[in-house]
This record gives sequence, C-alpha cells and structure tokens, in this order.
Amino acid sequence: MSTVLATHDFATGGLEAAQEFLKRTRAELRQLRKVRVWKDKLHVIDVNKDGFEVRGLGYGDPEIVPLLKMINTAFDPGKIHEPTTQEYKEFDTGRRHCWAEDRVM
Amino acid sequence: MNEANERDPYNNNSFGTLVDSGYKLVNLPVLDVTDFNERVIRGYEEGWGERDLPADLPLARSLIPAGTATLRDFSNIAPEIPEYIPENCTGCMDCVTECPDTAILGKVLSETEWEQKLKQIPEPDRAMYAKEWSKTKKYYEAYKKKLGDGGMFQIIIDPSKCKGCAECVTVCDDDALKMIAKNDSVMTRSRKNHRYFKNIGPSNEKYINENLLIDMMLKEKTHIYVGGAGSCAGCGEGTALRMLCSATGAKFGDQWALVAATGCNTVYTSTYPYNPYLVPWTNSLFENAPADAIGVRMRWDQMGWHDKPIWCIGGDGAMFDIGFQALSRMLASGYNIKVFVLDTQVYSNTGGQASTASYTGQNTKMSVHGNAFGGKQERRKEIAQIAMMHPRTYVAQTTCAHINHFYKSVLGALEFDGPAIIACYTTCQPEHGVADNMAGEQARLAVDSRAFPLLIFDPRKGTKIKERLSLQGNPAVKDDWYKNPKTNEEVTFIDFARSEGRFAKHFDKDGNPSQVLLNAKQDRLENWHLLQELAGIR
Repeated sequence: MSTVLATHDFATGGLEAAQEFLKRTRAELRQLRKVRVWKDKLHVIDVNKDGFEVRGLGYGDPEIVPLLKMINTAFDPGKIHEPTTQEYKEFDTGRRHCWAEDRVM
Repeated sequence: MNEANERDPYNNNSFGTLVDSGYKLVNLPVLDVTDFNERVIRGYEEGWGERDLPADLPLARSLIPAGTATLRDFSNIAPEIPEYIPENCTGCMDCVTECPDTAILGKVLSETEWEQKLKQIPEPDRAMYAKEWSKTKKYYEAYKKKLGDGGMFQIIIDPSKCKGCAECVTVCDDDALKMIAKNDSVMTRSRKNHRYFKNIGPSNEKYINENLLIDMMLKEKTHIYVGGAGSCAGCGEGTALRMLCSATGAKFGDQWALVAATGCNTVYTSTYPYNPYLVPWTNSLFENAPADAIGVRMRWDQMGWHDKPIWCIGGDGAMFDIGFQALSRMLASGYNIKVFVLDTQVYSNTGGQASTASYTGQNTKMSVHGNAFGGKQERRKEIAQIAMMHPRTYVAQTTCAHINHFYKSVLGALEFDGPAIIACYTTCQPEHGVADNMAGEQARLAVDSRAFPLLIFDPRKGTKIKERLSLQGNPAVKDDWYKNPKTNEEVTFIDFARSEGRFAKHFDKDGNPSQVLLNAKQDRLENWHLLQELAGIR
C-alpha cells in the first residue's frame, strides 16, 4: 500500500465504530481493489494502492466478518479465521450488484 | 470537425489515434464523407442533430462512414482520469492493450529525434510535455546498447475517449498510473499533452520488436478500432474487439471486413452517427451473421479478393443460441471465414437473459434466483468442443487477460486456410456484477478456476485430436484445480462465483455455497477433465 489515508483503532465490542469509520472514510478512496487482513490489522486498498487501516482487528476475530462483508470482499467466512503461514490474507473487493438483479420479468 | 473548435480547443477529437490523419474518403455516390462528418457529426456533438437534421438517403440506407467515432467526445462522462507516472513505467504496454476505448496510447522515439521534436512544442508547455516521457529498460537501456541511441517511451491518455474505468490502473503492476479527479487544470494539461503526442509523429519502428506481440499497438495501422464507441466503462468486449482489430490490422492493414451479429457489439459500435471501425462493417440480423458472412465471402471470392479476411462477430446469444444453425452451417461449408464470439455468458444487450453459455446457477432474467430455483439449472454449452467436431475447423478459446494467447489464437485463425472460430471470455460488468476495472482480473480468474479454460485446436497440427488440441496457457494443466501459490489453496469455480454478483445469492450468511453451485463446480471439473482427455493429458 502506498499511502495510509486514515487509521482507526479497534476496541473490543467496537464494531459499530469501525463500520462508521469505514463508511465515513470510504469517500476518500477511489474504486476499491483489495483487502489485506493480518493477525492484528486490516487494510482496505483502492486502485491507486492508497488505503485505510483498522488496527487491533485481525482474521482471528469474529468482528472481521461483518466488516469484510460491508465492503463486498470475496472471502469465505468459514475459512477466514483459520491460521495462515503467510504474512496476511488477501482478497478482491470488486463484486457489485448486477444490473436490475431484483427485477422479475 | 477534424480541426480545433470552441468545444474542442486542442483538437483531441480528430482522425488518427497516434498521429493526425484526414478523413477516410470513399468513392460512393450515396455517401459524402466530408459532409457527413462536418454536418451530421457536428449536429450530434452539439446536441441538435436528432431534432434538426433532415432525413436523407445515407440515413435511409443506414450508412455511416468509417471511424466517425473518433470525433466523439467523452470528456465529461467520468469524474476521474488516469495520470501517468513516467518514472515508474517499464513500457510493458499492458495498459495500452487492455483499454477498451483506445484512450491510452503508447509511442517510442529515439532520444535524438525526441530532442529535436521537442523543440516544436511551444516553449511554455515544453517542460510539461517532456516530463511525460520515460527512460525504460525495455526501450531506452536495451536499445542504447543495441543501436547507440535509447528509445524514449511515452504513454498518453486521450481525455476525449477515456471513460474512467481504471482498467489501465488495475493492470499496471508498476504503479505507473493512478486515477485522479478531473478539474479544469487536469483536463487542460491532459488535452494539451494528447495534442502534442499526436503532433510529434509516429513511433520509430526500429524500436518496435516484431516478435513482441504486445508491442503491436505502437503502430498506427493497428488502430483499426479508434475508440469513441458507446460501450459501458471497462467493457470486456471493447478490449476484445480492439485486440482483434489490432492483430488483424497488423497483418492486413484495413483490407478486411467485419460482419456483425446483432447484440451489444452492434449497438455500441453503430450508435448513429458513430462508427469506431476503419474497415467495412455490416450488420443484418441477430441470427444470420454467419450466413451473411458466407454471402460476402462468395462475392469477394468472385472479385478475386480471396486473401482478404472476413471476421464474423457476435455474442454467445447469437452464436451459441439463436444463430447456432447458421454458425454450424458456415463452419461445415469450408469457407475461409473467421468467427469471433464475445462470450459474456448472457444476453447482455437485452437486459441479461440466460443463454446456453450461462453457467449453472447464474442469476439472470429467464433464470431468476428464487425459492423454487437457484438461478440457471442447465449446464453450460461448450461451443469450442462442438466446433472442433466440424470438418477441418480451427478453434480457440481465449481471454484478453492472456495477451499472448489471445494474439496467437487470432493470428493462427488468420493463417488457417479455412473456417475458424475463437470464443473469447468477455466480462460484462453490469450483468456479471463486478466493478468497472475488473474485466481483466475476472477473465484471469475464469481461467484459473476452470470456468473458462484456454485452448487452441489446430487441425494442421496432426491427425489425432490430442495432437491438434493444446491446453497450453492454463495453470496446472495436469491437475484438477490450480493452487494459488501464495495460499496453497485450490482455486475452484466456487472462488470465481464468490467474486461476482451474478452468483451472490448462492452463498448463505456463513458463506457456504448452495448445492446448485456445487453442481456447477462439478460441471466445470467434468468439462476440464474432458478437455484434458481430448488433449491426451488425462
């Protein structure tokens, strides 16, 4: 990641605050591209490789699931908490709703 | 319209992509090209055309001159535009190749001629423009050793054609492009730089390696698809058509033609009065493009034009479904016609109905995901395997993200002296449910996950199927699934489905895939096994 544009320190039980942080700072980023999740932090990265960081929350924590879902991360909630030999886990974030997906013919 | 005017002060909307050129005039009594471009295009660009232009003979005959879309201005449709960072550029040409709109262009000049030509740039802007050039290892250092004069390389964004999809930024591995917000200062700089880029002349061909297929777009003659089409931002089809046109243009210039089946491709490339092609193009109906192409081929052969290729293009709806009979008949005819299928796995143009190319489980109109059925219940039809069983037919399946494979497929089809068909995976952002910058990423994932395997079937390679069929280009070609080297985890159809909105309803709140999606995964594995068996790998 080139530049961390904003950071948030996650406190236990502070899911709502973390979600508010992601909502509030979203407009500072461009098209989202990747999410990287460490044991103890989360990076949300845009096409310019700028991003923001949530510290104190990692792939082992249950609160990571709603946060990743909120930004359309392509991840498996069943596997997200598993340990990894890698430094971090990386996922794409390009999923969108299809055009008029709920319109029934 | 081919000169600067009040709306286009730096004349970015002008004929020629890398350098300026005049209108392509044709000697037809029914079409006055200069009048069309000056009067009709002006009417549409200035917003009064539909209201005030009289109906006339060319309109009644549905005629549009070649390349009129180059006069179209998209400057105001996106809030952002890419910015080039020359010091990071390696000259890989990925961005130029993958742009669906011919909006990002490359040029290489010797350092000596570059220094001379810079003197032609007005002094106040010279430093600004000089900064846009880079000294890459590929063009500068390598050619400094080889020729004694390094090649200066430039990437430029055409602000009149860019739709802000960010595909170029996404495919750049070197941080040489980033998206920035448009404002008056950014746009003026971008327009001026693009104008100087055109004024400075064509690339020096000494610096273009003929063996590097990805460098072909440095030549003006490969820009047969000029941009300015009405396709969605980031459209996967746009890139495929551009690359198809470039490869064919590199070999045949503008001495070839396109016969198009109705679909998205015909809508965005013939939205009156804009035509992005510099070669003859025709559209008859949805279902009869291959039959139409046979007619053109027969007439051209009568005229002695045996060596001029004809590409017949259409979507999966036109080729797998509604025009399938015409396609099969054409392949069986033995005629020297090449077919290119823009496979979006859905009827994109009419709002996203299922086609026989749609994947099992795909949520589409006509196979809406609900309580009774989880999206499409049938299995995907494989046009490549069907085409292989036609007499002496060249077949390929490829994607734009696999650039060498794509170009080899197209050039192989052109060299083959008989019918050929290429099925190309093309991302459709609104129907697949992915972001505008994801066309290449999703095409690559489709191959990695066995959703859409690469293949080339060349009847000249031998007498047995396994000698003719190559699966080269697919990852882990002998295995069931490819494993991501970073995680050592298998990449399956479920991973592909997880990344696209069209399959989103198949995952429960815990992320578990539905049984229908597991069936789709099994279907993709069986298809892969069949290909492995045919290729003699299994």
